[in-house]
Amino acid sequence: MDFQVTRRRFLATASAAAAGAAIGPWVVRAHAQTGPVKIGLVLPYTGVYAVLGESITQAMELVFARENWTVAGRKIEMIKEDDEMKPPVGIRKTEKLIDSDKVDILTGPVHSGILMGMRDKVHNSKTILIVSNAGADDISRARCSKWIFRTSFSNWQPCQPMGGWVANHVSKEVFQIAPNYQAGKDMMGAFRETFLPAGGKIIAEDYPKLGETDYAPYITKIKQSGAKAVFAFFSGTDAVNFVKQYDQFGLKQTVKLTGAGFLTEPDVLPAQGGSALGIITGHFYTPLLENSANQRFVKEFREKFFGKMPDGFACQGHDTAEVIIRALKAVNGNTQDKEKLVDAIAKVEFDSPRGRFRFDPKTHNVIQPYIYVREVREVYGGLNNVPIDKVADVKDPGTGCTLPA
Amino acid sequence: MIARLLGLGALVTAVVAFPAVAGAYPVKLLQEILIWGVFAMSLDLLLGYAGMVSFGHSAFFGIGGYVAALALKSSPGALSALVVPALVTALAALVIGLFSTRVSGVYFIMLTLAFSQMFYAYAFQVAWLGAEDGIIGVPRPTILGLNLGQATPFHLYLITLCALAMLLLWRVVRSPFGHVLRGIQENEGRMEAVGYAVRRYKLVAFVIAGTIGGVAGSLYTQLNLTISPDAFFWTTSGEALLMVIIGGTGTLWGAVLGAAAFILLQSLVSSYTERWMLILGATFILFVLFAPGGIVGALRRRARVRT
Amino acid sequence: MTFLSDVFAQALNGLAYGVLLFLLSVGLTLIFGMLDVVNLAHGSFYMLGAYAGLTTIAMTGNYWLAMLVAPLAVGVIGALMERTCLRPLYRRSPLDQVLLTFGFIYLFEDLVKWIWGGKIRSITPPEAFSASVQVFGATVPSYRLFMIVFGLVMAVALWLLIERTRLGAIIRAGVFDAEMAAGMGVNIDLVFTGVFAFGAALGGLSGVIAGPIQSASPPMGAGILVPALIVVVVGGLGSLKGSLVGSLIIGQAETFGKAWLPGASMVIIYVVMALVVLLRPQGLFGRALK
Repeated sequence: MDFQVTRRRFLATASAAAAGAAIGPWVVRAHAQTGPVKIGLVLPYTGVYAVLGESITQAMELVFARENWTVAGRKIEMIKEDDEMKPPVGIRKTEKLIDSDKVDILTGPVHSGILMGMRDKVHNSKTILIVSNAGADDISRARCSKWIFRTSFSNWQPCQPMGGWVANHVSKEVFQIAPNYQAGKDMMGAFRETFLPAGGKIIAEDYPKLGETDYAPYITKIKQSGAKAVFAFFSGTDAVNFVKQYDQFGLKQTVKLTGAGFLTEPDVLPAQGGSALGIITGHFYTPLLENSANQRFVKEFREKFFGKMPDGFACQGHDTAEVIIRALKAVNGNTQDKEKLVDAIAKVEFDSPRGRFRFDPKTHNVIQPYIYVREVREVYGGLNNVPIDKVADVKDPGTGCTLPA
Repeated sequence: MIARLLGLGALVTAVVAFPAVAGAYPVKLLQEILIWGVFAMSLDLLLGYAGMVSFGHSAFFGIGGYVAALALKSSPGALSALVVPALVTALAALVIGLFSTRVSGVYFIMLTLAFSQMFYAYAFQVAWLGAEDGIIGVPRPTILGLNLGQATPFHLYLITLCALAMLLLWRVVRSPFGHVLRGIQENEGRMEAVGYAVRRYKLVAFVIAGTIGGVAGSLYTQLNLTISPDAFFWTTSGEALLMVIIGGTGTLWGAVLGAAAFILLQSLVSSYTERWMLILGATFILFVLFAPGGIVGALRRRARVRT
Repeated sequence: MTFLSDVFAQALNGLAYGVLLFLLSVGLTLIFGMLDVVNLAHGSFYMLGAYAGLTTIAMTGNYWLAMLVAPLAVGVIGALMERTCLRPLYRRSPLDQVLLTFGFIYLFEDLVKWIWGGKIRSITPPEAFSASVQVFGATVPSYRLFMIVFGLVMAVALWLLIERTRLGAIIRAGVFDAEMAAGMGVNIDLVFTGVFAFGAALGGLSGVIAGPIQSASPPMGAGILVPALIVVVVGGLGSLKGSLVGSLIIGQAETFGKAWLPGASMVIIYVVMALVVLLRPQGLFGRALK
């Protein structure tokens, strides 16, 4: 037992440890500041909604490529995870991105159920999440969080302005129909907020099950109700089935079909074909918008992705990536100071393809510069949502959300 | 015998110590494998020992999961986490079993499927169960003074419970009751003729399997802090069947191997290729055709060939 | 008077839906009746038929040609599946066969996604039937009327085939006692493959027929499987008559359920099935269980 050597060795080790402890965090932080910025994406890449996941991702890639995949001297790394539109898988992948990959910023998902399922994990781990699609109103209301921003929409936003518009331009006697789940009910409720005060009357409401394939009984009910117009929300295969069958019953000529934008977005429009002509929907975007940011966006998107037209989902992806780039530039690439980064994100403002983009500091939800009223017409050699009117500055009410100002 | 015990000991140690060497995500995968392993094992009791093909096993997973979620939200303790879900699930299994065991074969498949779909439809639509989003924000319980919100205590708690469930199933299978079940699977008519109340045995097996399935469901809620109607959907039962078959029907432990194979395929392979469903389907078909004993069967054959 | 015409309109909807269910489920019940196999991949045949129809129309623009090509194509796929994967399992428990077909669900869905992509696609109804017509005051798409007529004609044709032809006699002999039939010189292997292929073809045909009304996407097979199984169980496994009656009943139950009992639309079909299985497990016209 060599006491002296041991003590010397102990002192040497201790001082080395102390020095290391003092310098270490600086070294780690310095490395973290020069290593890549990791952006996590939780999106569906398989399944019917994969087309949405693709659109969002492609637009993000477009924006990052514009910046040469670098921001504030750091490389940008995108880590994509397939959530298969299933909450258990989505939660698992979220945990992987946060715990394993240690992403700096998380984005996604498409499915509101996955969003609600990941909300607590994100909030408790103080991970910055930029919601690039899921529209659950709750995330901007009772379950809001200072770490969560949304660049897409709340389910309320596309529908609320449509109520007044439909009452004044289409008919005051409307039949509402949407799938039987929270998003459907929320959208119908938002519509009524401006429809009823404008003198509108809801003739009837119906909520078929999600994934219904035969809408004949509902369409027959619509006809029998005597309503002069329909306000509908459907997405994906439901939207295709409903619109096709509605047309086959010959109702389009006598009972005007209106709805939330998702009823006729480019993911379903090709399958709907001529059945979609004349449908009027409300949405924050259509590729036909004439502002310069959009014209640039459409041109670059088509060049990069073999002539594919961007849709609302692509616009969401574009804006998500723009927010990330601008916020990171504002903090000089410092992803360690999360509070500062959150502040920077909240202050981002820029010209988006949809109009002037900015967040509502009260809810961290995007303030839609416009909700466009669009009609499906055959223009430019195909079916498109043509803007015919618009409502400005649509801000989610954010009831129940109290974010630190 | 000693070699076997040592092997088992090594395995248990590895599982317990895993969080020390691996990150949070691989640990999560391991924990999911354990839970699904228990669920698949309970299904193996029905499939591999009693010869009952149930496509409604997800009903119990869902019931256990939802009951645990609701109970834990109001009072997070051992009662809410385990006792209440187990009791409620056992009761449900009794009721469903009373109806389902009246028929067998494909009718049993269909009836059990119908029951789980009815639960799915109900859970999907009603507000008190969270409708299509399910129940979120479920707190972890504090049991025996241990706050299971912490990673390590939870890991140990989970392993202990899964091990207990597996041991229980193992004991059931090796008991006289288990032997009667196997006899029923082989030749129901003969067992009836000999004087066994076949239907009663099947019912008991159904209740035991259902209860353990419910415990797996409640553990799942405790792991993810959330439960959604997906848990009830008949494809959840289908996936459990896949796990049992791939692992090896009628081997109990095979179910855990099958669970591992399935979850690793779903989580890891999907990060590399979009075609994971194709791979899964093809793997399953190949197993049914060429390796009816599953992974365990294949391993046993190799062991026999070697000696 | 309007109440009656409302009811009539819905009844017509129910009839159309029921006929579609019949076309979908008759192949499934035939396969079970003959081979004692519950083909869980039957929904996949429906999907493959829809996609085969889609491609045929995309290439030729002819819907009627698609109605011919789709069942043929799916029949071939069915025959291949039976010969290579199912036949080795006949010696094993029927449950092994059920499980094998379950694996095929995953396989077929991903294969379709790989070849055709995941986007939602659609088939347009043929020109002749693209408008709607008035029937006793009820508005009905003419395509649905066509579907009703076609389905009922199919039902009669199938019945004639099974009950009144030599081929049908061979099939019935095989169902009744395969060994005996083989002993009498019938090529049982060929008959089995043939019946499976025929059942698959019927599934594929229903996919093309449903095409103009519904959209096509890879998960569509898994979605239609449960209603098809339920119809078969209610009608009685293996019974052609049962398949027809069962689907017509369920078609009406579903339709009026959606029209009059909004909250219950998700569960009606399961409740009907559960009741039948509990009260009369062999279904309306099925073989009595031992």
